Amino acid sequence: MSASAPTPNTTSNTTSTVLEVRGLRKVYRAPGGAQIVAVDDLSFSVRRGEIVALLGPNGAGKTTAMQLALRLLDPDAGEARLFGGDPELLDARRRVGYAPDAPLFPRQLTGLQILRLHGQLLGFTRSESVARAERFAGEMGFSDPARRPAGAYSRGQAQRLGLALALLGDPELVLLDEPTAGLDPAGVASMRALLVSLRARGAAVLLNSHLLSEVERVCDRVLFIKQGRVLREHLVRAGGRRAEVRLANPDQLRARLAQVLPDGTMEGDRFRIPVASEDVVPALVRRLVEAGGEILEVRLAGAELEQLYLQIVEGRA
Amino acid sequence: MISWPVARAAAGEKLRSPPVVAIGLCFAAVGALRGGPEDGAETFGSFGRVFFTLLTLALGAGLLSDELDTGHAQLVLLRPLTRASWVGGRLAGAGLALAFAVALAWAATAAAAAARGHAFSASRLLAPGWTNSGAVVLLGVSWLFVQVTLPLVMKRPEWAGPLVAVGSYLGPQEPLPPAPGVQPGLGPVLYDLTWTFTPWLAAVLLFNRRELARRRT
Repeated sequence: MSASAPTPNTTSNTTSTVLEVRGLRKVYRAPGGAQIVAVDDLSFSVRRGEIVALLGPNGAGKTTAMQLALRLLDPDAGEARLFGGDPELLDARRRVGYAPDAPLFPRQLTGLQILRLHGQLLGFTRSESVARAERFAGEMGFSDPARRPAGAYSRGQAQRLGLALALLGDPELVLLDEPTAGLDPAGVASMRALLVSLRARGAAVLLNSHLLSEVERVCDRVLFIKQGRVLREHLVRAGGRRAEVRLANPDQLRARLAQVLPDGTMEGDRFRIPVASEDVVPALVRRLVEAGGEILEVRLAGAELEQLYLQIVEGRA
Repeated sequence: MISWPVARAAAGEKLRSPPVVAIGLCFAAVGALRGGPEDGAETFGSFGRVFFTLLTLALGAGLLSDELDTGHAQLVLLRPLTRASWVGGRLAGAGLALAFAVALAWAATAAAAAARGHAFSASRLLAPGWTNSGAVVLLGVSWLFVQVTLPLVMKRPEWAGPLVAVGSYLGPQEPLPPAPGVQPGLGPVLYDLTWTFTPWLAAVLLFNRRELARRRT
């Protein structure tokens, strides 16, 4: 069942925790001397085999949080631990992948050359690096552009190269910053399948995206961030979708539905229940009608996350 | 200290850069036009020297800062390699590109000399000048080694700053005095490599490291 918790789970330190950040703070100094607090007392963890999303408005500190977690930036306070150790340890760096938002690459090198470089940096032999470069360029759907210099890439092609680089070493933890930005619809669908396949092989994913519908479909957990702080952690049921049914007779059905559909919850006149996909909605409606329900409205609660976002982050009722 | 995959990539990147290609071709053309009886010293004659200097500048421009600006440095530094080996790899890559351009210019000079009927003896070029320049290069490398390792070995990181400051005063402040002692032949080439390339290396190393440090903190 979906649940919202007012505070994040910051104490988890089991062996399955692959990333843990505690009390991170980062202040940028603007040219005029003004201080901009990008991240403030940020704490969260990511466990093996789960997909966690950071959601927040522009400037909330999501990208800074990722870079602090990887120690690509030095924090002013707090610490990050990758696989239980210092993120700068070379062993930890073998096991992590990162795709930044709107990446740029050396203009003169082709995508394949850049992939081969990173393959060798990861410790693969030259021939393995060549094979991996070809394979991941193909999997990301840019085999042809990969043979051209990266200076001529569109944003989407650069995004695909960035994703291929992130996945090149079969990482156990992948951090993706706006991975769907610049991708066409087919690319977004591929990204969704990719995330699911990463989770299936036990990898953990920390995702920063504004595509709420995609987040809701694939993520296990969502962290709402604003002004560098986690406002709330939201657990998303596997499958990520919920049906929301508005009933004319909720009070008469409350006890009955608790028996026949125990996963659901009744809030006011709305009955909410997690569903694996929209295909099961007709069967759900049949069961509600059989239970005596008078249905006024049915919808997939894809907008739930949006409502939560507006409520938590924007402060709207 | 040097990541060779990074060095190879940097060399490939620089050798495909239009300014580097243009200047390198001019450098080789000077050698070809002037190749004569002087065993290749013409390559580094007045015009050759200008193009050699321009080449070192073109190779050094953006060697580290382009990578930082694009953010590719972040992706590379996320791999299991140290910052020092990344910086060393980029510098070595530029050195490889420079060595390739020098070899090309020498080949052009030798070919032109042969076409004009002059003997071109590589063996004569290799002998003189080695000791002076080699010793200077060795001293420079030794100093860099001491500069990097001493604070680590003694566990005194605060020594790093003063050592860098001292290092900036090492080497000739006035480049002309050592010149008369250098033999003709490969000596001038190594002299150029030592006193043009090494200060450039040192400058790139110091300034870009500072930039790297600034951007990462």
